[in-house]
Amino acid sequence: MGATSASSGVQPWIGESVVTRASVGLPTLDRSELSGHLIVLEGTDGSGRSTQIALLTEWLESQGFAVQTMGLRRSFLIAKDIDSLLAKNSVTRYTLALMYATDFFDQLENRILPALRSGMIVLADRYYYTLIARAAVRGLDHQYLHRIYDLALPPDLTFFLNVRPQIAFEREFQKSPAISFWEAGRDLHLSDDLYDSFISYQTMVRKEFVNLAKRHGFATLNGENTVRTVNADLRKRIASYLGIRNIRYRPSHALVHLWQ
Amino acid sequence: MGTPSTTIEQAAQPEEKRPKQPTRPYSGALVVVEGIDGSGKSTQLHLLKRWLEVGGYRTYFTEWNSSPLVKSATRRGKRRRLLTPVTFSLIHAADFADRYERQILPLLRSGHLVLADRYVYTAFARDGARGCPVDWLRNLYQYAVVPDVTFYFRAPLEIAIRRILSGRPRLKYYEAGMDLGLSLDPIESFTKFQGITLARYDQMVQTDNFVLMDGTLPVHQLQQKMRDVVSEHIELKRFKG
Repeated sequence: MGATSASSGVQPWIGESVVTRASVGLPTLDRSELSGHLIVLEGTDGSGRSTQIALLTEWLESQGFAVQTMGLRRSFLIAKDIDSLLAKNSVTRYTLALMYATDFFDQLENRILPALRSGMIVLADRYYYTLIARAAVRGLDHQYLHRIYDLALPPDLTFFLNVRPQIAFEREFQKSPAISFWEAGRDLHLSDDLYDSFISYQTMVRKEFVNLAKRHGFATLNGENTVRTVNADLRKRIASYLGIRNIRYRPSHALVHLWQ
Repeated sequence: MGTPSTTIEQAAQPEEKRPKQPTRPYSGALVVVEGIDGSGKSTQLHLLKRWLEVGGYRTYFTEWNSSPLVKSATRRGKRRRLLTPVTFSLIHAADFADRYERQILPLLRSGHLVLADRYVYTAFARDGARGCPVDWLRNLYQYAVVPDVTFYFRAPLEIAIRRILSGRPRLKYYEAGMDLGLSLDPIESFTKFQGITLARYDQMVQTDNFVLMDGTLPVHQLQQKMRDVVSEHIELKRFKG
């Protein structure tokens, strides 16, 4: 460690400088060793992220890029524990925020960074911005949340799929026959009417995203457009970033059902 | 969550930069013991607790890493050695938050004298020794109230190590700091890791107003000092009955 960490505001080391770089990991990450690219899709529930990730994965792989995907609550370390906590909904807000942070950093260090070191494209279905937005609507301080993720890797490209809550509701309802406790933000006691609660909660989250988009320079796309239109826009922007000339794409038979 | 008199984060700043102290948002009091393993802190807190209980004060004891919430994840992470310095720190922060929000703060709000075996300073010292940036750690715990008294039990490294090693046959991987690659020998690794942690604690004596306790003194004598300091800093009669 030592002077190399000064850029991230790390306190100088005291005593023996015995901690090796490899053992410290993230706090001393050297971005130049990452030859891959990190592309993030953000948006509220029902904004079409997962559909777009599936299509982009196929397109990028057909262009010869190796792709790794990630999403929230998928870490080996702690995902199951978060699931069971959410099922019981007895958790407090700081605890939940920190458990999600643990899940996020476990995936970042054990999955994303190795993939980026080996030159892969990582497509993230949500990233720490979602965690900031969700915790912020529950009253946690923005600066507190941002500083937790100061240690994380900012994406190369972030897209925000912007969808009105009413549209998101329709889409979520098509996916599953009932709205879940957490999608409706029921822990916030916004309304006993589940539809009202869903709309109020998703409106709050969306507002956080709009602010995050400004602060972090996301590319905001109209997520209410058709899957094809949104996908064409995404391909154009990603192609320009990666230097891909051919942006024409038709999904394979396996994914054609998504192509609307 | 309420605003503490001086936040954990601000405590590291020079006195003149700290905001004026507002009144505490709770009627309880918080006494903390800190120090490396083998410094004698748990024994002393146990004796303090006995004294307060026998005296009839509303007392509650809490210790680090006792929440069932993240137990399975922590166990999984430790057994399979999956934890990095950052996830090690975050998983303990989640555990602390659960205990803080559901136990420590409600007890303080309801007027208890809370005795904590380790508090946020353990994370600052131990996770800092693992390489997590200190300002990042302080931010992580910034919502936690500053204790009324923090006792820092300091014993020379050799003495603390001897106490630990004589009582325990085998050191665990993370406990010995083996994840830092300091040494392949657990005892040597543990000794180095405790040494770095000790240096981290020493730095906080000034910034976080620790009451320094010489862990080499006789148990009885230390306990007397502890009781004197507690009586002096905390109006104990508030906790009677």
